[in-house]
Amino acid sequence: MSLMKAPENTPVWTNEDRCKACDLCVSVCPAGVLAMRYDPHSILGSMITVVAPEDCIGCNECELACPDFAIFVADKKEYKFAKLSEQAKERAKKIAENNYMMLGA
Amino acid sequence: MAFNYDEYLRTNKMPTLWCWGCGDGVILKSFIRAIDKLGWSKDDTCVVSGIGCSGRFSSYLDMNTVHTTHGRTVAYATGIKLANPDKNVVCVAGDGDALAIGGNHTIHGCRRNIDITLIVINNFIYGLTNSQTSPTTPRGFWTVSQKVGNIDPTFDGCKLAEAAGASFVAREKVSEPRKLEKVLQKALAHKGFSYVEVLSNCHINLGRKNKMANAMENLDWIDSITMPKKKYDALSDEEKLNYLPTGILKEDTEAEEYCAMYEEVKKAQQGLRPKITPDDFKKKI
Amino acid sequence: MSKTREVISSGNDLAALASVDAGCTFFGGYPITPSSEVMHTISDLLPKRGGAAIQMEDEIAGICAAIGASMSGQRSLTATSGPGISLKAENLGLAQMAEVPLVVINVMRGGPSTGLPTRVSQGDVAQAKNPSHGDYKSITVCAGDLAECYTETVRAFNLADRFMQPVIVLLDETLGHMHAKAVIPTEEEVKAGIKPRKTFDGPPEEYQPYGVAQDEPAVLNPMFQGYRYHFTGLHHDALGFPTEEIETCRKLIDRLFRKVDAHRDEIESNEEFMLDDAEILLIGYGSASLAIKEAIVRLREEGIKAGLFRPITLWPSPEERLYELGQKFDKVLSVELNQGQYLEEIQRAMGRKDIQKLTKTNGRPFSPQDIIDKVKEVF
Repeated sequence: MSLMKAPENTPVWTNEDRCKACDLCVSVCPAGVLAMRYDPHSILGSMITVVAPEDCIGCNECELACPDFAIFVADKKEYKFAKLSEQAKERAKKIAENNYMMLGA
Repeated sequence: MAFNYDEYLRTNKMPTLWCWGCGDGVILKSFIRAIDKLGWSKDDTCVVSGIGCSGRFSSYLDMNTVHTTHGRTVAYATGIKLANPDKNVVCVAGDGDALAIGGNHTIHGCRRNIDITLIVINNFIYGLTNSQTSPTTPRGFWTVSQKVGNIDPTFDGCKLAEAAGASFVAREKVSEPRKLEKVLQKALAHKGFSYVEVLSNCHINLGRKNKMANAMENLDWIDSITMPKKKYDALSDEEKLNYLPTGILKEDTEAEEYCAMYEEVKKAQQGLRPKITPDDFKKKI
Repeated sequence: MSKTREVISSGNDLAALASVDAGCTFFGGYPITPSSEVMHTISDLLPKRGGAAIQMEDEIAGICAAIGASMSGQRSLTATSGPGISLKAENLGLAQMAEVPLVVINVMRGGPSTGLPTRVSQGDVAQAKNPSHGDYKSITVCAGDLAECYTETVRAFNLADRFMQPVIVLLDETLGHMHAKAVIPTEEEVKAGIKPRKTFDGPPEEYQPYGVAQDEPAVLNPMFQGYRYHFTGLHHDALGFPTEEIETCRKLIDRLFRKVDAHRDEIESNEEFMLDDAEILLIGYGSASLAIKEAIVRLREEGIKAGLFRPITLWPSPEERLYELGQKFDKVLSVELNQGQYLEEIQRAMGRKDIQKLTKTNGRPFSPQDIIDKVKEVF
């Protein structure tokens, strides 16, 4: 198994050099942990942001959906993930309706 | 600790040149996860790809990689594998590469049942060259070569592979990466020709002009035309016309593998065994 | 210990034997008259020695399998005739571009198209110079008798590994099917002369397969040995990865030419037969040269001093020697079993438009009398 060191105490982290702002990870996150922020330096004008790490349930859908090796999820044995809450689900729905952009941006 | 994809990638060539959200990247990731679980060594693995966006698949892998001419992926791979039968050889080709110009080589790779895995990335179009009709583009879709609607019928690559003699045939899709990884793992481990068709999204070319301009919509469309094999088998003939079955569609572990049979040829030529006769085979015709 | 042996064989069989003796361990091909016997014979010889031969589903797959095996590090062969070269052209181009060694035997037959499958011609000479699209430098050798079906095939393998590209070996139906005695080197002699392709022995991190001097070929290590790089038909950088960068592309094509042009002395090979005191220069190659030599002997019996210049390496052509001969000889006759394909090159190299020609394209060989009559007619 090829492994790399994960950042401490972090459920999910990103590599902004590789993110192409396709919105896929945001669209598959059930807990509204992820959203896009406006970014004038990115080709599509937006960039992935971890907006609510405390709600991350460690489902790994974002990592598996990302075509660009730009988002990673911690190991369940090394991080205590949250349980999926109604609040988190609600936020995920709102972000999707907001074209995957951060709320109140 | 987290999965270290960079171990398998030519990281100095990242980010990939594929469009944002392109399924090729998801398949690349699934492939890496699968071979890691199989414990394959990078040095012992050769990945051969064709022409098209999927053709760039091999260039991003830190393995022995080959980018061939259009449609000839399986032919090159056959030479590499037969000359090095104990090494891992994987082909990656698009729907046009494997089923149009390369159709003949795909058929014969299946027929020989040579121990190669062919991953056909089916995005229902010729994506790289801007949306020409492919053998899997649904009729009635807009393509740049048939702007008032495609009239070319499609065929089912998996059915073709089964009929031609592939001993492992499966279809999965980019929107279910866990299943994809599992099937890839089985296909790669399988001794014999493994044909794996992966339905993928080309929202930038196919999708934009066919009412699914982003990755999510394109993937939703793929979900709407697929269903697991068991459910598919229960449909009526007419209903079946609108769906593609997913999952493992054929798995035969008994069929004779080509390189193994060629070892018998070597033995026979060297006088170490009698000549090969029809009795050496289960299927005699 | 003798360095040669006498065998009774055919041109096709000798080409197959030569390949195996020269270290070829893979054959990929497809049946086509009049070359099929190369495949038949080698499909016995190779597995006997632990190699592999495969009849693929078509001509294109045949060369692709052979190129694949060569990419993996093995000496590899394919054999065909004119229509097969036409089909293989695109992939010949890939082998040129990616610098993959390969020996391609073309047993020429009547063309164009289906032509005369069981009859002789030399009609693929122009094609051998540029079978594929784009800019690259072809190396083509042509066997002039039965023994050369063996020796030129051996030489082709060494040239292919030296210059890291396909080398076309032209036989024709006459030589391919001619069954007679030939004196060829022993297997030990051939093995002693094998010059395998260069490899890089340093640490993999420092390996740059295409990062070589402008007059040298790529250094491509065999696969599966820890040196991982990329083969592609696209323009590529020092590691083989595709690129469109302006200088890299310019230098790549320049190097594909220069790697051959800067070392012509290693490639050029000619025979000069009774040329020293000759007054009439005949130029021919391949099986036609057998008739030309006989014609020269008979002409000299009548007091007509003819001589033969026979290029063995056809491409790149021996342009400097041709120019010298063009300066020395007034009377020049080119003899070919085609409509004058090499004549064009002779005219270009000599800078002359008055070269006489004897051509034949009906699938029949030249008889010495054909040549004698022509010499008397034009000179």
